[in-house]
Amino acid sequence: MYVIEHALLNLGKNKGRNSLLAIIILAIITTTVVALAIYNTAQTVMEETRRALQCAVRVAPQRSSPGTGVAVTAGGGQQEAAVTLEQYLAFASSQHLDGADVKEGGRNADEVDAVYFLKRPELLAVFEAELRDKGLPDNYSVKTDESTFASVAGPVESLQKLSLTFLLIVLVLGAVIMVLLSFIVIRERKYEIGVLRAMGMKKEKIALGLWTETIIITCLCFVLGMGAGSILSQPVSDAILAGQAETSAPGSSSLADRLNEAQGVVPPTTKIDIAIDPVTALEIFAVSILLASIAGIIAVSRITKSEPIKILMERN
Amino acid sequence: MTKCLELRNVTYRYEGSRETVLQKVNAEFEHAKVYTIIGESGAGKSTLLSLLSGLDTCQEGDIYYNGTNLRSIDRDIYRSQRVGVIFQSYNLLLNSTALYNITLSMSISESKIKGRQAKKQAAYALLAKMGLDRETSHRKILELSGGEQQRVGIARALAHNPDVIIADEPTGNLDAETEQAVLAIFTRLAHEEGKCVIIVTHSESVTAIADEVLSIQEGQLSKLRRG
Ligand SMILES: Nc1ncnc2c1ncn2[C@@H]1O[C@H](COP(=O)(O)OP(=O)(O)OP(=O)(O)O)[C@@H](O)[C@H]1O
Ligand SMILES: [Mg+2]
Repeated sequence: MYVIEHALLNLGKNKGRNSLLAIIILAIITTTVVALAIYNTAQTVMEETRRALQCAVRVAPQRSSPGTGVAVTAGGGQQEAAVTLEQYLAFASSQHLDGADVKEGGRNADEVDAVYFLKRPELLAVFEAELRDKGLPDNYSVKTDESTFASVAGPVESLQKLSLTFLLIVLVLGAVIMVLLSFIVIRERKYEIGVLRAMGMKKEKIALGLWTETIIITCLCFVLGMGAGSILSQPVSDAILAGQAETSAPGSSSLADRLNEAQGVVPPTTKIDIAIDPVTALEIFAVSILLASIAGIIAVSRITKSEPIKILMERN
Repeated sequence: MTKCLELRNVTYRYEGSRETVLQKVNAEFEHAKVYTIIGESGAGKSTLLSLLSGLDTCQEGDIYYNGTNLRSIDRDIYRSQRVGVIFQSYNLLLNSTALYNITLSMSISESKIKGRQAKKQAAYALLAKMGLDRETSHRKILELSGGEQQRVGIARALAHNPDVIIADEPTGNLDAETEQAVLAIFTRLAHEEGKCVIIVTHSESVTAIADEVLSIQEGQLSKLRRG
């Protein structure tokens, strides 16, 4: 088809204009890759962490809440309701568990620190019922450890928000730049469009030709942008995380430390490894093609609306 | 002789301008004839040609091609297949070679000449007729002289073997010898192949070959001489 051939020939001419276009598209794609990679990775870390922490159940005597000063103890005296180490160990034999971590000497010297790992977070109610059956007194709570999750999730969550904001800014700015740029490029090519229209080339074919040019440039930029983006994502994310830890959590130095701390309760799987999965790559590709197409179509449709002779006259 | 193009009460005014360039113009152009149109600068000659070649539409009146109203046909096809236009300002693709300007025209018109090589050969032959050799054919339009560009423009207009040839000052930049060669081609196309040739000109040597000479004055088109 001659339209495609024409587009390919055009790419070879006007190298200056095309490289300018390429640099801008490349910058948009690279930043999008970085932002999306960070966003998606943070998402994965959050989910993994949440799931892992939701599986970790701590069984401990309820303490009086500091606000009311009333001891939350039900039934008889506090002494009678104490659970022995043997009982704690017996709880671990439940079929709903993947494992348990029962240690003597928890928060107080005479207490037992007992954490049970559920197979699935949804099993919490069933597990609790089982323990009550086995004789766990009412003044003992069976709860997931939420404070640990908050300390780990906080920085990851703000990292995620940051990257999302960044992504939105890049996309909006990118869209604006692309539209403006195509207007300038199309204006510059008005004469050429007028000539082609005068020769009887259909609007759709002219648009297809210009679109092909943009898409080829975009595809090249996509490959380069993905490369640059994946190289940049890791250091950028590391830098953000380091800064994040300092500002948000006095006392604890970095997210990595807190992840390690939490490893007493969380199976040690989480570490932020920035990665671009195929879905992300596809998303970026779709977004760049979409941006390029919208920008091109707006510009072309504006020009080809007028009669060919008007397009030519405005240039001559 | 069969009617090729017919104007009925054509009135035209440029957008945003009050002046009517053409005022209820009526005219007929037949096949197998060479017409020349003369008139002062600014009389509306180029305007008339852009209407005839389907590059613009008139506010009032109608133009018929072989009996069909131009308003009711696909003007892109009309321009790419039926008419060959030689513009006063050439309107070539400046960054492309002379050769490519010709072969592209063939491609757009879905010319009978198929295949890249066949198109190239036909384009070389056409450019050679205009006195442009292969070396010149491979140069970009920007690197050609005015007269050379004009000849590429003529070759392009003829490349898709159109039914109507519409030329705006086609020999203004040519030397006398080339002018005669081009005019010979035009008369042959009209008299032997039955094309309708319409030429706007200021040149005496062009009006000399015309079968009919028309004049535009104050928005009116009138016959000056019948061949
Ligand atoms: N785009 C335009 N907008 C408004 N008026 C125009 C436009 N183009 C041409 N005109 C006016 O229309 C009239 C006819 O112009 P046209 O180009 O048809 O003249 P012409 O006979 O071809 O002149 P020339 O011999 O100099 O080429 C002129 O008065 C010109 O000023
Ligand atoms: Mg003119």
